[in-house]
Amino acid sequence: MTLKHDRFKLSLRMATWMALPLMFLFIGCGEGQEPTSSGDADATSETMDEEGMMPARRQKAFKKIFHAVPSPIETALLLERSGINFDGDALHSLDQAVGYSTTELQAVNLGIYAGDLSYSVIFNQNQQSVDYLNTCRRLCDGLGVGDLIDADLIARADNNRAIRDSLVDIVTETFYALNARFRENGMEEVGGLMAAGGWLEGVYLGTLSLNTSTDDLKLRIAEQKMTLENLMGLLNSYAPTPALTAMKEALAPVEAAFAGVSITENAAAATAASDGTVIISGGPEVSYDQATLAAISETIAAARNQYAQ
Amino acid sequence: MNVMRSAMTAIKKFPLAAFALVMMFTAADAAAQCRTFTKKRCLPQLEDYVQNDNYNTAVLIPGDEAELELTFFGDRAYRLLVCGHPVLGDLTFQVLDSRGNGIYDSTDKDSDHFDFRVANTQQMTIRVQVPDTDAVIQHEGCVSIMVGSKG
Repeated sequence: MTLKHDRFKLSLRMATWMALPLMFLFIGCGEGQEPTSSGDADATSETMDEEGMMPARRQKAFKKIFHAVPSPIETALLLERSGINFDGDALHSLDQAVGYSTTELQAVNLGIYAGDLSYSVIFNQNQQSVDYLNTCRRLCDGLGVGDLIDADLIARADNNRAIRDSLVDIVTETFYALNARFRENGMEEVGGLMAAGGWLEGVYLGTLSLNTSTDDLKLRIAEQKMTLENLMGLLNSYAPTPALTAMKEALAPVEAAFAGVSITENAAAATAASDGTVIISGGPEVSYDQATLAAISETIAAARNQYAQ
Repeated sequence: MNVMRSAMTAIKKFPLAAFALVMMFTAADAAAQCRTFTKKRCLPQLEDYVQNDNYNTAVLIPGDEAELELTFFGDRAYRLLVCGHPVLGDLTFQVLDSRGNGIYDSTDKDSDHFDFRVANTQQMTIRVQVPDTDAVIQHEGCVSIMVGSKG
């Protein structure tokens, strides 16, 4: 009798606990109410509507800090404007993607391949762009987010391979969705490692031709000291894990090399040009020497090759 | 069945774990809704600017602040868009240089975005405020800081 009673109690408790998450899940997926601007909408509804609003679940205000780094597409655009030539041999081998079995290697190499994909897109290497997108898809499969680069997306890229702007849109939308998914799934560390891989590859490609490059490219490479600060802020914002620690250790020599870049902070100011465009001028002055650039080039290659092997 | 029994034993022993599970579902769902919100309501406002692929979106309540530090490259045009659910009221934002000096303030301006060109590469901070409210029932909503660039 007691046993039966205990079993009944357990079943009831089981049902309650099991129902709760399911209830939240189903409520969240349903159609929500229309948003209001008055701020006093029906408080009995506790779901975030599809417009992104719901009664507050906390009362105390806080400050949310975002950490961001320029995307691989932005870095590739910088390289293009600096006058470098496309070097297909410098890209990470497509064949090696199958060999990355850990989440750490898949995440960093997804970033590295994203850097190569962006570089190929910006330099109008159409077939190569589609090939690198396919390789990113393979790594996304391994990370459990393969649905974001599905056959339809590959076909869309293939059909638009000759239209650079379309490919740029496809790449940025895809990697934005990936970053969002990593956040939603509690895989922010993976997003951070991917960002690090993408940054490493972009700077690596830029440093390969430093000896023959324009002053503009040299300046762009030296300015990466600022984006490295952004990247370290991003990596340091996560709870430490062995993979993150390993990445920070790999980047430590890079940080040491960038210490040779001197940045003098000056006040910036916004002024309106004759056509109405707001120009922000002033700001930091960046200075460096050839030895510093050589050290950056060497340490970047070492960090990149530690993962891309 | 054994797995279920083990899970229930864990839940019985650790009710906090069950609560965390529920909250995880709720938070994940809210995050997914924010992505939908951002895609539908914010991304189109970037127009021909190429979006940065960082996902700078959070669920905020009245009185909250958000901050983003990012490097902006020289000789490039940017659109900075602060996009929030209307229930949060009129969000305000400021752009600060690397020394913390104000460059732009959206207060009293009827726009949720700021278009500018950067002469020299520099780090800037974007600071966003959700206005306080006297409403008895407060709402939370998605807020997204988006950065697009071109030529």
